Amino acid sequence: MEYLLSILLPSLGHMYRRLWTRAFCILGVVLAHGGILWLAIQKGRFALLAEKIPKRYAGGYWFSTLMLLGIFFLIWVFALVDLWRQGRRREEIRGQSYWSLVWRRFKRDPKGISGALIILFMLYLALFAPFFSRGDPIKMDLRNYLKPPSWEHPMGTDNFGRDILDRAIYGSRTALGIGAVATIINMLLGGFLGLVSGFYRGAADAIIMRFLEIINSIPFLLFAILAVSIFGSSIPILIIILGIFGLQPARIIRSEVLSVREEDYILAAKAIGAGQLRLIFRHVLPNAIASLLVTTTMSIGVNIIVIAGLSFLGLGIKPPTPDWGAMLRDAQEFFRTAWWMAIFPGIFIAVTVFGFNILGDSLRDVMDPRLK
Amino acid sequence: MQMLIVLFGLSILVFTMLKLMPGDPAVIMAGLGATPETIQSIREKLGLDRPIPEQYWRLISGLFNGQIKAITYHTSVWAIIFERLPATVELGVFALIIALLISIPAGLLSAVYKDTLLDYGVTTMALIGISVPVFWTALILMLVLGVVLRVLPVSGRGATIGPWSFLTLDGLRHLVIPSVALSSVLMAMNARLTRASMLEVLRQEYIKTARAKGVREGVVIIKHAFRNALAPVLTNVGLQISTIFAGAVLTETTTAWPGMGRLMVEAINRRDEAVVLGLTLFLAAVAQVSYLVVDLMYAWVDPRIAYD
Repeated sequence: MEYLLSILLPSLGHMYRRLWTRAFCILGVVLAHGGILWLAIQKGRFALLAEKIPKRYAGGYWFSTLMLLGIFFLIWVFALVDLWRQGRRREEIRGQSYWSLVWRRFKRDPKGISGALIILFMLYLALFAPFFSRGDPIKMDLRNYLKPPSWEHPMGTDNFGRDILDRAIYGSRTALGIGAVATIINMLLGGFLGLVSGFYRGAADAIIMRFLEIINSIPFLLFAILAVSIFGSSIPILIIILGIFGLQPARIIRSEVLSVREEDYILAAKAIGAGQLRLIFRHVLPNAIASLLVTTTMSIGVNIIVIAGLSFLGLGIKPPTPDWGAMLRDAQEFFRTAWWMAIFPGIFIAVTVFGFNILGDSLRDVMDPRLK
Repeated sequence: MQMLIVLFGLSILVFTMLKLMPGDPAVIMAGLGATPETIQSIREKLGLDRPIPEQYWRLISGLFNGQIKAITYHTSVWAIIFERLPATVELGVFALIIALLISIPAGLLSAVYKDTLLDYGVTTMALIGISVPVFWTALILMLVLGVVLRVLPVSGRGATIGPWSFLTLDGLRHLVIPSVALSSVLMAMNARLTRASMLEVLRQEYIKTARAKGVREGVVIIKHAFRNALAPVLTNVGLQISTIFAGAVLTETTTAWPGMGRLMVEAINRRDEAVVLGLTLFLAAVAQVSYLVVDLMYAWVDPRIAYD
């Protein structure tokens, strides 16, 4: 019975079983997504069908709609699975593994939760930008030249008459997208280099470490400036440059490998014939994962600031693509008259990076093994 | 020795990157409407027609004996760098002083009153400080202090261009906005560091001993804990040279401060390899020397560490 109800609308099943807290959490999430869907339908009906959305954005619109439906499906599945698990796990003893402890501590940490919420908010802004924005972030409209904030344009308009709020919403796409992908490359490449230099020592270690020292000898931003001015500043190139020059994870993995490789259990694992891959995945990575997670979170924030800095110098994202740093660059010229151009994009950068920083800080606290 | 390897590797890396840069410096120098002959003669004068290793050698040896001329500035590379150096040093030193004066007491108090409202305030401010980009801080300060309140000049370094311009009132007034903006990040970093280091020290046994034998709390904190907690913070300042310079590139561009950071951006835009390479190497050398000083300082501050 409750499963049927839950299929109709997630959270009804939980209500039937009187799991009120869970029911209202799920209901809240469903309603929030319903709100976004409503925005999407409004947009679609008025704008897309009337061909107000230019062709180049139509694809983005459908992509966002698909994502939204996908998330709905996930919530629906989650509600069913959760209902089933709640029914089974009554008498079970709650898990005592490291990760369940971490999760329980994380749930009680207001810092981490608010960081996660900020990031989630920005992520949704980026994913569903076409539904939240009210106009075209690129099309110029010189009748609205430098309008101060008003009901129609809550954050004012820029020197081409474009709405700042719309541009800032779309700007979250470049910031989060490039920031996240570059950080993933950092992790993979840095992790690989760290493993190699930690495991094989000798010449490979020496070369990799010297290379890292060379890269660390001048500020990251300078390398990025140099590289961008040489290879141009398209988005893939930005991602590659940020990915290659932010190799902090290499040091973390290497020191983890070095501290682990002398342990007796590694000797034992080798004695029973464990291969290199097994050693890496079973023994080294689980030890390093906590510090890696913290670094990942923090370095997304750092990458977002560097992208903004590059765009601010005119070397990053090129206009007219909406980007927070590039918007601040435009603001520089007009800041005596149009303060709103300088204030709002900066708030978006600061809030996003702040979210990643407090999440990273909280992860470091909750995952500290000394607190067991 | 290791320092030299790093500098050599860096110079190779940067030189290779510069060679990959599209745009011929000779064409840029000759200007619009230059004949192919002029371009060719400039190219010969700059040695751009030689093989790559020889070009590298000419550039590096030229940097060392001061012969090499900046391609677009018409003086030697070092002359330009040293002309811009005082402005950046002034900016960096003032930013650092402001940062340390505020962050160390803040970090100390926040560690001593851990988990109080004061601690939450300081840690939150510090987190905000590392999240806000320096160029935005600079823009906001310019907006508030320069445009709305009209108490400070918005940009530039004032009329007195020279190594000591901060001694004049005008120079000092121009210095406020860029140095406060630059110090915001340093302040946040150092406050976090002081707090962490102080908490680490307060956990030690000898603090417990000192308290147990009845030393007054103020003396325990200042004499026993703070003196030991300060060492890692002060040595870390040497490692922040890179952060300062990266911040200087952005603040100097925002506030039109005539320092090395702006020079770097200008030189890259003008494709001036000599200046870019010289600046990069100079900066890396300064950073390497400061790392060395940090290493030596560790031994000096903490006698338990000895170097052979």
